[in-house]
Amino acid sequence: MSQLMADKIQKDTSLGTYLSLTWEMVKMNVLSAMEYRVSFAMQVIGMIINDIGLVALWFIFFEKFPEIRGWTFRDTAALFAITTAQFSIVMILANGSFRMARMIANGEIDNFLSLPKNVLWQISLSKTEVSAFGDLLFGLVIYFFSGNLSFESFGLFILLSVITAVIFFNFIVITQSIAFFTGNFEEAAVQLFHALLGFTLYPQTAFFGILKIITLTILPAFFIAALPVEIFRNFNIFSLSLMIGFAAITFFIAIFVFKKGLRRYESGNLINIKI
Amino acid sequence: MNGVYALKIIKYFEVAKINYFNSLAYVINALSRSGVVVIRIWIFAQLYRITYAASGAEEIGGLTVAMVVWSLMMTQSFQSSGRPPVSEIIDEEVKSGALAYSINRPYSYILFHLSGYLGRSTSSLFINLLIGSAASLILVGPVKITLFGILFGAILMIFGRLLDFLISFIIGLAAFWIEDTTAIAWIYSKGQMVFGGIILPIALFPDYLQKIAEFLPFSQLFYSAARLIVSFDMELFHKFILIQFFWIAFFAALAYFIFKKGLKYVTINGG
Repeated sequence: MSQLMADKIQKDTSLGTYLSLTWEMVKMNVLSAMEYRVSFAMQVIGMIINDIGLVALWFIFFEKFPEIRGWTFRDTAALFAITTAQFSIVMILANGSFRMARMIANGEIDNFLSLPKNVLWQISLSKTEVSAFGDLLFGLVIYFFSGNLSFESFGLFILLSVITAVIFFNFIVITQSIAFFTGNFEEAAVQLFHALLGFTLYPQTAFFGILKIITLTILPAFFIAALPVEIFRNFNIFSLSLMIGFAAITFFIAIFVFKKGLRRYESGNLINIKI
Repeated sequence: MNGVYALKIIKYFEVAKINYFNSLAYVINALSRSGVVVIRIWIFAQLYRITYAASGAEEIGGLTVAMVVWSLMMTQSFQSSGRPPVSEIIDEEVKSGALAYSINRPYSYILFHLSGYLGRSTSSLFINLLIGSAASLILVGPVKITLFGILFGAILMIFGRLLDFLISFIIGLAAFWIEDTTAIAWIYSKGQMVFGGIILPIALFPDYLQKIAEFLPFSQLFYSAARLIVSFDMELFHKFILIQFFWIAFFAALAYFIFKKGLKYVTINGG
């Protein structure tokens, strides 16, 4: 009977199954991290203090310079609310994707190839960054400093965080998958990740000229930072569609690059048991 | 027969290919590191250009846009050359038990790690400064740097590094009592970001905060040296060096005390 159930789960590729399995896997990752309670609490609290530090920096900046090309502290609050929420969604649900280049170089993808579900989904969910819960809490709190406090704007904030999380995830998958083609790309992928994150720290009106073109293309900070804040301030369906469209296109590119790369993957011949 | 030769050629071609990709990995990594430094300076150049334009001033807190960008380039270079952080290395040694072996070796544990940190950070410091200076020169033009500025700035930089080492060392030693020290390391790095002149020079702070920030240890790690190099001021040097000496004495005493206390937790098993 249990074999039949296992077969059924294995064959069931519906969205519902994936969602419930996602929930179970994240729960398992969090419960195992919570075995070390002090460490868990310290990471979450440490991350909140870390994020408060970032806001403090910009609070000081805007004390001295209240407006930078129309950008004020409230815009920075909205920016940090969306980016920390978006970052935490990726780090809670898909932190494994961030370690993919290392797994490829070490031949550790083997662990996921024999599992019944989608390989990218398995890799992504294999790790949960517990400190990201601190980011999530911080994102929700800093939202209240953004100036838009209606029920609708809260819904919009959640929606924008989810869409930008998808774009952020796609970027990680694409950059980490380059390791399939070049072998060792771990450090470069991490640097690209930090370069993208770096853009999300600053007033978005500071980017113009070639730097703006970079944020629209190879390091798509415009779509995960500037555009969502603009939509959050002045909602318009065209900008939202543009963002969703960008998320969809990059998602297909990420899947394409990953699949193409996976075909080139060479096993590490690792004989070990992953529990 | 021809087939055998073809196989041999393919074999050596594969060897060449593997070596090519191996060396390419280092080139790509080095390029990506430099790329990030350049982008960061580029962001600073644009941000402070529009910030100064918005305030309508040529000079704020004694610094022009070019001086701000050059000083940020230096603080960032000083900071990033200190990686991997000493706290991470000590934390690992305490947790893995490697410390138990290290303390029995014929050298001072603290001085061993201090020299390791200084040696490690010097090579990357020169590379960071070289790339950073080239990028700053292209993006905002030159600044007037005097020989005195470099000389006295270098003194502050060396003591700043010592201070950074001591604080990182203490954070790493905290692993004797807590499971994971990364959270403390984050808070320390954020302290540097806010009060260490890594993104916003302290000279641009509102007056009341500037006075407080200058007396905190964070500003004495990297900022004080960078500030003096871009705009030399002997009075400022005296002030900064006194603050540095105070914090170095304080953290050296604390490091020594914590290290001695922590050693009581070390157990050595034979066999």
